[in-house]
Amino acid sequence: MNIDIKRVAKLARLRIEEEKLDKFEREMESIVAMVENLPELTDKAVGLDPSRPMGLREDKIRPSLKRGELLANAPQTQAGCVVVPKTVE
Amino acid sequence: MELYTKSATELGRMLRNRECSAVEITKASFSRIAGVDGKVQAFLTLNEQAALEKAAEVDQKLAAGEILSPLAGIPVGIKDNICTKGVKTTCASKMLHNFVPPYSATVIQKLENLDYTLVGKLNMDEFAMGSSTETSYFQKTANPHDLTRVPGGSSGGSAAAVAAGEVPLALGSDTGGSVRQPASHCGIVGLKPTYGSVSRYGLVAFASSLDQIGPMARTVEDVALLYGAICGQDVMDATSASREYPDFTKSLDGGVKGLRIGLPKEYYGEGVNSDVRDAVLQAVKALEAQGAQVVDVSLPSTPYALSAYYIISSAEASSNLARFDGVKYGYRTPEYKNLEELYERTRSEGFGDEVKRRIMLGTFVLSSGYYNAYYKRGKLLQQKTAEEFAASFNDCDLLVTPVTPTTAFKIGENISDPLKMYASDILSVTVNIAGLPGLSVPCGKDQGGLPIGMQLIGPKFSEETLLRTAYTYEKLIGGFDPIPTL
Repeated sequence: MNIDIKRVAKLARLRIEEEKLDKFEREMESIVAMVENLPELTDKAVGLDPSRPMGLREDKIRPSLKRGELLANAPQTQAGCVVVPKTVE
Repeated sequence: MELYTKSATELGRMLRNRECSAVEITKASFSRIAGVDGKVQAFLTLNEQAALEKAAEVDQKLAAGEILSPLAGIPVGIKDNICTKGVKTTCASKMLHNFVPPYSATVIQKLENLDYTLVGKLNMDEFAMGSSTETSYFQKTANPHDLTRVPGGSSGGSAAAVAAGEVPLALGSDTGGSVRQPASHCGIVGLKPTYGSVSRYGLVAFASSLDQIGPMARTVEDVALLYGAICGQDVMDATSASREYPDFTKSLDGGVKGLRIGLPKEYYGEGVNSDVRDAVLQAVKALEAQGAQVVDVSLPSTPYALSAYYIISSAEASSNLARFDGVKYGYRTPEYKNLEELYERTRSEGFGDEVKRRIMLGTFVLSSGYYNAYYKRGKLLQQKTAEEFAASFNDCDLLVTPVTPTTAFKIGENISDPLKMYASDILSVTVNIAGLPGLSVPCGKDQGGLPIGMQLIGPKFSEETLLRTAYTYEKLIGGFDPIPTL
């Protein structure tokens, strides 16, 4: 199968350097060829293990991390906010 | 005997008997690291000062007559994708090169409550994607048994640090074999627990439906000890199971009389190296001589499991890794004109090639028009694999297989061929696909002197049986091989 690597990269918000495009395309095609060997199965997929239902936390207010601690990892901050490029014209 | 050669269980006993102090144990660990880590390159971050302070605190508690946990004052290394508050957690990626978690993973909180000593953070394949620890952005870790070879991966730093005697215990994570395969290559014991038995809160997500944190050590008893310390339900992980767990160290010497061991023929086929196959079958014979029964079983979907694994894990990874965008934490590209460019440049510069491959594979199999052909078929195969395992456990109590088809390969040998690298996971991914526990146990060496591992696979929550069987084998052969000379 031919894979449009530029399109896939765009969907994944990645840029592949021009000189690496061929290599990635070849590799992706061989990986996809490998995973294509799956048999056709007609059963219905069960998303969850019915024997172990997931339990959700009670929806209530509890202590959380402090803003300053969380922002300490942000690449750029100003006045307690994360700085990003303008998103709305 | 030097302190660094002792097991965690032994160190805990010595500490409580006042035969050594926690500070001495910690110093022994760091002096071993100073001596050999230049060659092994297992650690990305060392936590020496805090570790010594913690050890001194344990010694004070001991002097005050407090009753300590078996893990108090025991040095532990942690894979660098498990969040440790205030200690850098990089996932061996440029993307998180500067990330200092503001909270600790649940497993870390549990170990802190038991007064463990955090020695440092261990190298791995970038975002746990790889089977050799070569995709790390920072360094390549060497196998302590042969420094020209890989330690396996992705928890290669964890396996190498334990095998080299730098720490008695380490935590790794296992999405498709990442605890068991490096344990096998480095000649140590590693457990991939039943999905849902260990909280994933604070583990940087790769494939959330497959990821589990697992203990690694040089003895079965130590793995049982560390597993018992980290398992249990956690409100912060909705997939963690609600159940009671026994003290796994108490039931180790029950023997294997009457135990039914299944040998799935698909795991002993052509691709498996003959030294590996012979060593595993030899170990099975030894267990048979102790009263275990051997039965042949079949898991017909095994040849397709690798495909299902790469589809499902990559699909989940493409979604999980979407959060790395240069906005809230981690790397941000220095040059961008708009938001789109900020995302694309940050991700292209921050991720390595293997991570990009997996993200793109996941994006592709989930993309419009391909979802049914790939992702859905992968999920159906997953279900079939789980059903086949469940059926096989009607005829046996556990399965024994090789962990991986070959022993450790040379550094650089497979790195340029993704398919060859992926093939080394062929015998371990099924366990994750089916959500089962898998234990990697050393069972001899190949002609070149490289460690071989056998894999014990059981039904969900059968860790007690797996550990007891492995312990029986360990005692039978008079203990595993000592730490190699470095």
